[in-house]
Amino acid sequence: MYKTLLARISLSILLLLVLNFIYSKWFYEADLQKHSTLINLVREVPKNTDILYIGESSNITFRSNDIDKSPISTFLGNHYPNLNTYDITKPASHSGIYKVLLNHIPTKSEIKTVVVTLNLRSFNAQWIFSKLETPLQKSLVLLKPYPPLFNRFLLSFKAYDIKSEEERKQQFLNKWKEDEFQGSYPFPYKNVREWDYGMHVKGIKDSLGNIDRKQTELASHYIKAYAFQIDTLHNPRINDFNEIVRLAKERGWNLVFNLMAENTEKAAELVGTDLLYLMNQNTKLLEQYYGSKGVLVVNNLHAVENEQFIDQHWTTEHYAEKGRKTIAKNVALALKQWHGNAYEEVNDDLRYKTAFFNNCDDKHLVWGQRKSISEEQAYSGKKSSQTGAGNDYSIVMSYPLKVIPDSLKNHLHINLMFYQNAPHHQAKLVVQASGLNFKSFWKGFVLNQKNSPLNTWINYQKKIAIPDSIKQADIIKVYVYNTSDEKVYIDDFSIKFMP
Amino acid sequence: MLFNTIEFVLFLPLVIFAYYLLPHKLRWILLLAASYFFYMSWKVEYIFLIILSTLIDYACGIFMEKLKDKNARLPFLILSLSANLGLLFFFKYYNFASENLNLLFDKIEINKELPLMKFLLPVGISFYTFQTLSYSIDVYFRRQKAERHLGYFALYVSFFPQLVAGPIERFSRLSPQLKAPHTFSYENLAKGLRLILYGLFIKMVIADNLAGLVDQIYATPQHFSSLDIITGIVFYSFQIYSDFYGYSIIAIGSAQIMGISLMDNFRTPYLAKNIAEFWQRWHISLSTWFRDYLYYPLGGNQVKKLRWIINIMIVFVVSGIWHGANWTFIIWGALFGIIYLIEKLINTRLNIEKKHRAFSPGHLLLACKTFVLVTFIWVFFRSQNLNEAIAILKFIFTGTEQINQALLVPGYVWFWLITFIVSDVLLYNKRFDFWLADLPLVGRWLIYGVLIFSIIVYAGVENFPFIYFQF
Repeated sequence: MYKTLLARISLSILLLLVLNFIYSKWFYEADLQKHSTLINLVREVPKNTDILYIGESSNITFRSNDIDKSPISTFLGNHYPNLNTYDITKPASHSGIYKVLLNHIPTKSEIKTVVVTLNLRSFNAQWIFSKLETPLQKSLVLLKPYPPLFNRFLLSFKAYDIKSEEERKQQFLNKWKEDEFQGSYPFPYKNVREWDYGMHVKGIKDSLGNIDRKQTELASHYIKAYAFQIDTLHNPRINDFNEIVRLAKERGWNLVFNLMAENTEKAAELVGTDLLYLMNQNTKLLEQYYGSKGVLVVNNLHAVENEQFIDQHWTTEHYAEKGRKTIAKNVALALKQWHGNAYEEVNDDLRYKTAFFNNCDDKHLVWGQRKSISEEQAYSGKKSSQTGAGNDYSIVMSYPLKVIPDSLKNHLHINLMFYQNAPHHQAKLVVQASGLNFKSFWKGFVLNQKNSPLNTWINYQKKIAIPDSIKQADIIKVYVYNTSDEKVYIDDFSIKFMP
Repeated sequence: MLFNTIEFVLFLPLVIFAYYLLPHKLRWILLLAASYFFYMSWKVEYIFLIILSTLIDYACGIFMEKLKDKNARLPFLILSLSANLGLLFFFKYYNFASENLNLLFDKIEINKELPLMKFLLPVGISFYTFQTLSYSIDVYFRRQKAERHLGYFALYVSFFPQLVAGPIERFSRLSPQLKAPHTFSYENLAKGLRLILYGLFIKMVIADNLAGLVDQIYATPQHFSSLDIITGIVFYSFQIYSDFYGYSIIAIGSAQIMGISLMDNFRTPYLAKNIAEFWQRWHISLSTWFRDYLYYPLGGNQVKKLRWIINIMIVFVVSGIWHGANWTFIIWGALFGIIYLIEKLINTRLNIEKKHRAFSPGHLLLACKTFVLVTFIWVFFRSQNLNEAIAILKFIFTGTEQINQALLVPGYVWFWLITFIVSDVLLYNKRFDFWLADLPLVGRWLIYGVLIFSIIVYAGVENFPFIYFQF
C-alpha cells in the first residue's frame, strides 16, 4: 500500500508541476489583469528611475482652484531636475500594499532612493479593520512570492483576510474598547469608546451655547482617527514597514519614510491638547523606531496649516497646492543627504502658466477626464484621448483664468491632432468659462471640415480672441465634446494664452 | 469554516492524520473536538445549542429505554421534541411568526407589537435538530437502543463533515461506523479524495460562477431581457444543484477517508421523470426523513384519498417551512405538493409514465418536463420575498428588449456548465468515485488534472457561502 501511495504522491507532484507550467505560460497574465491590476503600477516604473515616491491619495489630490495641480512627487522631482523621479500612487493603500508593490520592483531597476508615505492615520483601528481591506488583500494574492498556480490556488480558496463589513466594524469597535491608554499622562478617558461618548455628551458649543452637532461629530471623528497608541509589537502596519526596511536593505535603496501632515490645528481646536499629545507621541515613536533602523523619517506632522487641508469636514491628508509643495520641499531637503549635488531650489515666484500641452502619455499631467485615454490610436507616444461612442468628453484642460495677467490673455491658440474613422461625427472643440457671480461662457467649434480625410491624423488649429467679459473667470476649460456614436481621437493637445 | 476555503484544506488533513495516529479508543475525543472546533469557527457561542440539544436527547434516550410502558416514555419524547423544536422555532421562526402576528394585530386593530430579535441563525440548526429528533423518535418506538456513551452520542450529533448541511444521518447507520476501529486504507483515501475533488469542482467552478449572474438577475430583473431572465432562472437550477450536491459529496468524501460512509444525497435529480422521482433523487436524506418521521406517521397512503392528499400537502409544506421562515418557502413546498398530486392523478388516469428505458425519448421528454417545472418552482425558493418572485415571473414576459451586457456569460462558464451537465448525465445512477475507479490509470489522472486545474484556475473568486448553510 505504501508503495502505491508513494507512487501516487510522486505522480501528483509531477501533475502539479505540469499544471503550474501551463498556468504560468497561458493563464497567469490574464488573471493578473483581472484580479491584480496593481502590478501594472510597478511595471510602469522606468528602469532608470532614481527616486521612487510611493503613496496614496495624498500624493495626487488637489484643490480645484490650485494653480499647479501637480502631485507631491512632481514637486519633489522639480527639486531634482537632473534625477528621474517617478511615483506609484494607489489611493486608500497602506504599508501592507506598498510592501507587496516594492517587492515586485525588478532587481535590475536603477532606483537609488525610495520615499514611502507614512500615514499616521493608517495605524488606527478603523483603518486597519476597514471594509476596504477585503478587496485590497484579495488584489494582492496573485502577487505573493510563490509559484503562480499556488497563488491562484490561494485566491480560489480565499486565503486572504476575508471578512464581512459587519465583522470588520465589530473588530474596530472592540479595539476601541480593549485598547486602554497607557503612560503617566493624565488622559481624560481610558479608551476611545469612552472618549467618543464623552464628546457626544459634552458636545462642542456654538456661539449661543448650544451643542453644535456637526462640529461635535467632527470632533468625534478626530478622536476615532487619532486617539491611539502604536503598539510596535502588534500593530500590523509596523510589521509591514519593517518588511519594507528589510527589502530596502536587501536592494541597497536609500529609504525615506514621509510622515504626512495631519490637521493638528483642527485637532487642537476641536478636541484639545490631549489628542495632540497622542499624535505627537505616536509620531515621535515612529521617528525613533525607524530612525534606529537606519530609515530617514521626514516628520511633516505639523507642516501644513489648517487652511491648506482640502477636506475641512473629515480627516484626510489631502492638501492644497501650498501644502503639497511644503511636503515635497521637506522631503527634497532631507534627500540632500544622498543627492545633495543634484538639489535645486525651485523658483515659486511665477504663479501662473500660459502654455499647456498634453500628449496623453504623461500620467503626471493633471487634466480632467483621464478615463478617455486610450491605446487604440496615438499620434505621438502610445496613447490618445478617445471621444464618442459613449465617451462624450476628451481630456480637459482646466485652469483658474483670473490668475493670468489680463495683458497676457487676449488670445487663445489651440492646436491639436485628431483622428476620425467616419465623417458624420459631431465632435466640437469647446472653450468654457465659469465662476461665482459670473455669466457662464460656452463656445463650440466643429472639428471636422469638409473632405477631411478618414483614418489618418489631421491637424486642427484655432485662434480665439478672449472677450474681456470672461477674463476674470474662476475656471476656463478647453476640451473636445463628441456625443455621436463615432469615435474621434485627440492627441498632442496644445493650448496657449497669448497677448 | 467553509469546505472551499484554505482553512478547511488545512483542517481536514490534520484531523485525518491525527485520527489514524491515535489509538481507536481515543478517536472519538479527537473527532468530537474537531467537530466542535469546526462549528465554533462560525460563532463560538452557538456551540452551546448543540451541547444543550445533545444533553437533552442523551438523557431522554436513556430514560426512554429504561421505561417499558410506551405512555411512560411519552413525556421524555415530548421533552426531546419540544426542546429541539423549541430551539429551532426560537432561532429560525420566531421573527417570522412575530412579523406576521404584528401584521395581523395591525389589521384587526389590536394595539400590540411583538418584539423582533436580532441574532444570526445558528448554522445548520435544521440539520442537526432533525438528526437528533430521529434518534429520540427511534428510541421511543424501540427501533433504536439508547446510546450510553455520551461522547459517541455527542459525536453522532456533531460529526463535522455533515454537521452543518447534512446528509442527515440516522443513528443506526452512523453510530456503528463512528465506533468501528477503522484502519487507514488507500482505497478509502482515493475514494474520498475523488469525491472531494468532484465536489469542489461543481461548487467552485459551476455554482460560484453562476451565482454572480443569478444574483444580478434577481437583484434588478427590470434591467434584463426576457431571455436574460429565463437564462438566470435556469442557471439558478444548476447553481443550487451544484452548490448543494457539491457540498454533500465533499462531506461524503471527507468522511470516507476516515472509513465512514455517509448516505448519498443526490442521484441525478434533473433526469427524474416526475416530481415524485425528483424527490427520490434530490436531498435524499431529508426526503427520506420526512417520509419516515412525518408521512408514515400521518398514515402515508394507507388512508382515504382526501386524507392522503392532505398528508402529501402537509409533508411538502412542512418541508418548505423547514427550509426557511418565509412565505416563499411555504409556497415553494405547496407548489411541489400540488404538482405532485396533479402528476399522480394524470398518471393514474392516463398511465403516461409507464416504464421508459433510461434515455429513451419518453424518458428524456418527461425529464425535460420535470426540469421545467422544478426550475419554475425554484423561483420562489430563490426570491427574498413574494414580490420579488412575482416580479421575476412577470419580467419573463415584459423584460427589456435589449440583452443586457452585464449578463454576457463568459465562454468558460458555458464550457464548464455543459461539461458538468454531460458528466451528470454520464453518472446517471452512478457515483463519481465508483465510475472513476473503473477507468484506466491514464484516464483517471487526466480527469484529476482537468479537475484540479479547473478548480484552481476557473473557480469563482467571490465569496458565495453554500446556499444550504442558511437552513
